[in-house]
Amino acid sequence: MTEELAKTPPTRPESSLSTAGGSKALPPAQLAGRARKRRRIERGVVLGSQITIALLVVAGMFALNAAAGKLIMPKPTDVLNQSIKMWADGTMIKALGQSVTVIGLGFLLSASTGILFGILLGGFRFLGRVFDPFVNAMNSTPGAAFIPLIIVWFGLYTEAKVVVVWNAAMFPILINTAAGIANSNKDLTEMARAFGAKRLTLFWKVMVPDALPSILSGLRIGAAIATVGTVISELTMAQSGLGGLLAAAGNRFQMDKYFAVVIVLMALGTSITALLRFAEHRIARWRVSLREGS
Amino acid sequence: MDKTIQPLISLRNVGKSFKDGQVRALDNISFDVRPGEFISLVGPSGCGKTTLLRLINGLIGVDEGSVSVMGAPPVPGPDLAMVFQSARLLPWLTVVGNIEFVLSLRGLSRGERSQRALALLGAVGLRDFAGAYPHELSGGMQQRVGLARALAVEPKVLLMDEPFAALDAMTREVLRSELLQMWSRRRMAIVFVTHDIDEAILLSQRIVLLRPRPGRIDEIVDVDLPEPRWKHDPRTLPAFAEMRAHLWARIHDMVRDGAELEELAGAFPTDDGLEKSDL
Ligand SMILES: Nc1ncnc2c1ncn2[C@@H]1O[C@H](COP(=O)(O)OP(=O)(O)OP(=O)(O)O)[C@@H](O)[C@H]1O
Ligand SMILES: [Mg+2]
Repeated sequence: MTEELAKTPPTRPESSLSTAGGSKALPPAQLAGRARKRRRIERGVVLGSQITIALLVVAGMFALNAAAGKLIMPKPTDVLNQSIKMWADGTMIKALGQSVTVIGLGFLLSASTGILFGILLGGFRFLGRVFDPFVNAMNSTPGAAFIPLIIVWFGLYTEAKVVVVWNAAMFPILINTAAGIANSNKDLTEMARAFGAKRLTLFWKVMVPDALPSILSGLRIGAAIATVGTVISELTMAQSGLGGLLAAAGNRFQMDKYFAVVIVLMALGTSITALLRFAEHRIARWRVSLREGS
Repeated sequence: MDKTIQPLISLRNVGKSFKDGQVRALDNISFDVRPGEFISLVGPSGCGKTTLLRLINGLIGVDEGSVSVMGAPPVPGPDLAMVFQSARLLPWLTVVGNIEFVLSLRGLSRGERSQRALALLGAVGLRDFAGAYPHELSGGMQQRVGLARALAVEPKVLLMDEPFAALDAMTREVLRSELLQMWSRRRMAIVFVTHDIDEAILLSQRIVLLRPRPGRIDEIVDVDLPEPRWKHDPRTLPAFAEMRAHLWARIHDMVRDGAELEELAGAFPTDDGLEKSDL
């Protein structure tokens, strides 16, 4: 956008019209340059503040370590060394692989079933009314409450953990999808009906796209819950993955190791969020630019 | 006008209620629309104008009486198209995508769709904005797209529900004249709902004046002004002023007949009120 503006010739042919009033309007290239400069300064200030905060946190860790010992707070350099070691000997990669498998499978399952049932319950008002109390009951119960039952039914390993994640992450996706479709814009559906859209077209071409923002926010919540659910299942069921490493390090009071795992979990959560935001940009571009424009 | 031509739309003793009969929206409405006719529905807020358009479109059914479009009960589809007060464009589709959407409902092939959509955008002067999203357009441009979308399906009947009410005076003026030119080229029947008496006289060949609670026909007036009106602005003609005075007199009668005064005052805020205060 800015490049395009910059490429357009900045000079206009001199005309008698653009003498008095026109002198105030800046040529586009100069305007774009100003905007770019302002944005660069803003970005610099934001980044600088962020780096400062990060350094303060690290300094605080050093201070706490010096004052209270390595059980309360490991030395950041020890955490770094431990991280390098764990990445080098493959423990981290293996654990990350196990966790990502559980998150990925659980999230895919909950996304597909949540969206499918959400579309059904939101699209057919009768079904929605019948199932509403059950869906709400399931959604309001903490996912961890079902872990003992899931252990009895499915055991302790990967498939059982996937079920834990699925059960926890499906309902928010379902509820958001159903609400998005049930509350889709009546003016738009009437418009489509007036032009002769039949039920199925109305549903797939108007109501579902209209509900997309709501579905995407359901997916974002679902992804966050899937990450939490994975770690909880790894802590409480057969120890594996990053959650398993957390438990092992914590139990032995190896806080440097523990922090090395926490950092990986942070990075994992952040990249999942970033991935979903990217997907939102791709799928609902019109909406993103709508928000930025306002 | 030739009265022997088969009417395109025909309403007979139409009645419609809402909320299990608690709200009487329309009562004993009968009128015909001839092929190619431009007819306006005028009346205060809540007198059932939008409800009438919905009935003609087949979006809702009558409680009493009958509506027929080309001899059959109306079904939303190929022969009817609606322009709404707000453009009602699908925000996730581009401008050209919005027009292609209604063309796909008509079962046109992909190539035909985009070709016709672009042609229609050209007709309303928005070809350069084909790839833009609706929120990138001004209100007047969006309304133009709404008009292009309705014209794209080549309807026999164009239903318009206060299409220019939300626009500024200048845009409204331009779009009115564009609509008249479009109509003189294609000669589909137009049922045009408006609050604006001047607009109704300016555009239409006949005006159906409605009174509220329940919505009934007050009077049907023929507008005999020279055509084409986008070339010769009729607003300076004595016939125009006469017609205008007549319609306002009817509306003042409505007030005297006991229809709620404040409602009418709110529904017709146009220069009539000014005239009075000027006196
Ligand atoms: N779906 C509905 N449910 C209940 N009442 C309705 C419905 N649609 C219309 N009505 C009622 O019917 C009457 C006529 O409404 P309608 O929208 O047709 O009026 P209108 O002439 O288009 O008014 P306006 O000029 O304000 O648009 C009103 O009293 C309204 O409350
Ligand atoms: Mg209305």
